[in-house]
Amino acid sequence: MSEEPIENYEERRQELIAELEDLTQQLQALTPNGKPSFSPQEKAAPVETAPGESSEQAQSGALRRLRDTLGQSVLNLDVWKGVWYMLNYTAQYDAALARRRLRGEFETDAWGLDQEYLDFVRPFLYFFYRSYFRVETTGLDNVPAAGRALLVANHSGQFLPWDGMMIGMAILTDHPAQRLVRTLYAAVLPRIPYASSAVTRLGQTLATVDNGTRLLEQEELVAVFPEGYKGVGKTFRERYRLARFGRGGFAQMALNTGAPIIPVSVIGAEETYITLAKLPTLSEITGIPYLPITLTFPWLGLLGVVPLPTKWYIDFGAPILVDGYDPDAANNPVRVSQISDQVRNTIQEMIHNRLAQRHSVFFT
Amino acid sequence: MSPKRVVLVTGVAGYWGARVAARLAADETVHVVGLDAQQPASGRNGLDFILADVRNPLLAELLKVEQVDTVCHLAFTHSTWRSESAFESNVMGTAKLLDACGEAGVRKVVLKSSTAVYGAFATNSSFLTEDHPLRGSRRYGYTRDLVEIETFCNGFSRRVPDMVLTTLRFSSIVGPEADTPMTRFLRTPSAPGLMGFDPMMQVIHEDDVVSALVHAVEKDVPGAFNLAAGDTLPLSKIRGLAGKLPLSVFHLCANWGVTLLSSARLDVERYLPIEPDYLRFSWVGDLARMSHVLGFTPRYSAVETLREFAAHLRMGRYRMGPTSLAEDVEHMHKVIERRRHSSGAAPAAEGGDDE
Repeated sequence: MSEEPIENYEERRQELIAELEDLTQQLQALTPNGKPSFSPQEKAAPVETAPGESSEQAQSGALRRLRDTLGQSVLNLDVWKGVWYMLNYTAQYDAALARRRLRGEFETDAWGLDQEYLDFVRPFLYFFYRSYFRVETTGLDNVPAAGRALLVANHSGQFLPWDGMMIGMAILTDHPAQRLVRTLYAAVLPRIPYASSAVTRLGQTLATVDNGTRLLEQEELVAVFPEGYKGVGKTFRERYRLARFGRGGFAQMALNTGAPIIPVSVIGAEETYITLAKLPTLSEITGIPYLPITLTFPWLGLLGVVPLPTKWYIDFGAPILVDGYDPDAANNPVRVSQISDQVRNTIQEMIHNRLAQRHSVFFT
Repeated sequence: MSPKRVVLVTGVAGYWGARVAARLAADETVHVVGLDAQQPASGRNGLDFILADVRNPLLAELLKVEQVDTVCHLAFTHSTWRSESAFESNVMGTAKLLDACGEAGVRKVVLKSSTAVYGAFATNSSFLTEDHPLRGSRRYGYTRDLVEIETFCNGFSRRVPDMVLTTLRFSSIVGPEADTPMTRFLRTPSAPGLMGFDPMMQVIHEDDVVSALVHAVEKDVPGAFNLAAGDTLPLSKIRGLAGKLPLSVFHLCANWGVTLLSSARLDVERYLPIEPDYLRFSWVGDLARMSHVLGFTPRYSAVETLREFAAHLRMGRYRMGPTSLAEDVEHMHKVIERRRHSSGAAPAAEGGDDE
C-alpha cells in the first residue's frame, strides 16, 4: 500500500461524512416526518477508534489483549449482533441446502458421484491425510493429469479401507490435476447400510471387470486392490507380504483398454491395526468375510476401530504399459497371470525399498 | 397399392395395448387387429377387435386367416402376490401365443419386459448389458412371470431362428396414467427407502414406452434391449423429485415384512410395490444397444419425467374418483377374478362390496 491514502485520511473522512450528511438531508427532504435511523458522526466513531486498537501498545502481551478483547467483546452489542448474523446466515444457508437436496435438486454423474457430498466429507478425510497419518507421497508425476490409468496397490485395513481413501486424497489434494480416483470395492460394501450409499455418492463402484473397463474407457483414473479380502484380513505377522492377486481382473481391464498400470505401494497402512488372529468359524457362520481380533478390537468395542496413528508413505511407481499384446489377450489366462505377477513383483519390490528406508513406524 | 401390413396387438383392453393400437392405427400402411379376453373399457373406437384369450387353441388358425405379419404382445396381468391365475395367463399365455405365431408363420413378435429380470444384487455391475444372466427375484409375481417368459423366449428363438423376436426391457416406467410398480411405489404416502442404501436407478416416461413399442413394430431389430431415459438417478433424488420425505426403514425389517405379509397371504405389493432388494442394490441397464442398434432415443429425461409425475401427484390431491383408467381396469379384473373363484356362493350376496 502506498503512503498517500494515510496522509489524506482525515481529509477523505471529512469528505465522506459531508457527503453522507448531504444524502441524509436529501432523504429528510423527501420524507419530512421521517427520522434518520443513523447519524454519520456516530458511524464514523468506530473508525476513529479502530487504528488505536491495532497500535503497538495493544499488541503487547497476548494475555492482556485477550482479556481486553474478551471484556470488550462480551459487552459489545455489535459483536453479538455479528455472531447472530453469522449463525443466522449459516443456518439459513444450510436449511436452503437441505431443502434443495430433499427436493431432489442435486446433480450426480451416471455412477452416482455427488460433488456436494464429496465436498462435505473432504475435510474429514483431509484431517486423516495431513494430520493423523501425515501421508508423504512420491512419484505423483507418474499419475497422468488426464486420461485413463489404472492404479494397483497393496491392501490392508481390517475394518475401514483407509488405504483407498488416502490414495484418493493424495491425488485429490497433492496431484496438480486434483483428479478423483474411482476405487473399485469388494462386493461386501454394497450390503452394508450407509457404507453402500456413501461409496456410491463418492463415485466409487463395485470391482468387476466390466465396471473397470467402462470407467477406463471414459478416461477415468481407477484404483484397484487385487489382494481383496485376503489383503484386508492380513494378520500383523503377515504385514507387507502381498497376498495372491485374485484372478487378475485388473490385468484384463488394462488389456481391454490399453490403460497404463501404475503400481502403488502404501506403507504405514498395514500397521494401523495389530491383528493377532482371525475367527474363521465365526465369520463363516455370520457370513462376514473375516472377523479380526486386534489389540483393541473387540475389547474396546467401536473404539477398537480407531486406527493407530502410523506415519504413511505412498509411492507411485513408473507406469507399466500393456499395449503390444494381441487383441484377445484379455481372455488369455496365461497372459493375464503374467501381467498380474509382473505388477505384483513390482509392488513387492517397492514395499521392500520403502521399508528398508523407514526408521520408525510412528515418526518420520 | 400393396396390401396393408397386419399387426395383431394383444391386451388392447389394457392401458399399453390401447395406446399402442391407437398409435399404430394412425399409420396408413398398417391394419391393426386388437385381441383381448375382455371388452375394452373405453369402447372399441373403430378398432378391429376380437374377443379371445391368447391361450385359445384356435389362435394359430386366426393368425393364418388374418395373415398377421407382426404380433405385439402386451397382454400381461400385473399379478398380486404370486397369483397362479396370473402366472397361467402371463407365462403359459405367452408360450402358447409364441407357439401359435411359429405355426402360423408370423414374421415378427414384439414383447414388453422389464430390466427387473436381471435381479438386484450386490454383485451387479453398475451397467448391465443385455447378455447378463436373468436372475430376477422370484418373490414377486410380476418379476417371476417376466423371467419365466424371457427364459421361454430364449429357447423359442433358438427353435425358430427365422422369426424376428424383439424383447424390450423397460426400466421403471413412470407417468401420470400408467400403473406400474414404480408409480404405485411413488403413490404410497411415504414411499420409504431403505436405511443407508441409495442405489442408482433408471426410469422411463410412459409416452416413451409407447413410442419404443411402436418403433420396434415398425423396425426389424431382433434381440433384447434395455430402455431407459439417458440420465441415471439415485433413489434419493427420485424420491425427492416426487416430493417424498426422507423416510427409510431398516432393510431387514422390510425383508421380514415381505416374508410375513406373503406367508399371511396378504397383498404385499400393495404395501411394498417394489421388492426391498430392488431398493437396496443397483439394477441399471446399459443403454448402448438402445441407441446404436435399436436406434431409439427417449424424448423425456428422467428428471423431466419425475417432475411431471410429481405435478400430477400434487394435482391428485384436488381430484375426485379414480385417478386412472388402468386402476379402474385392475379393480374390475380383481372383482371378476374373485367372483369367478367364489363358486357356489350367491353372487348377489357379494354384490354390495363390489361396487
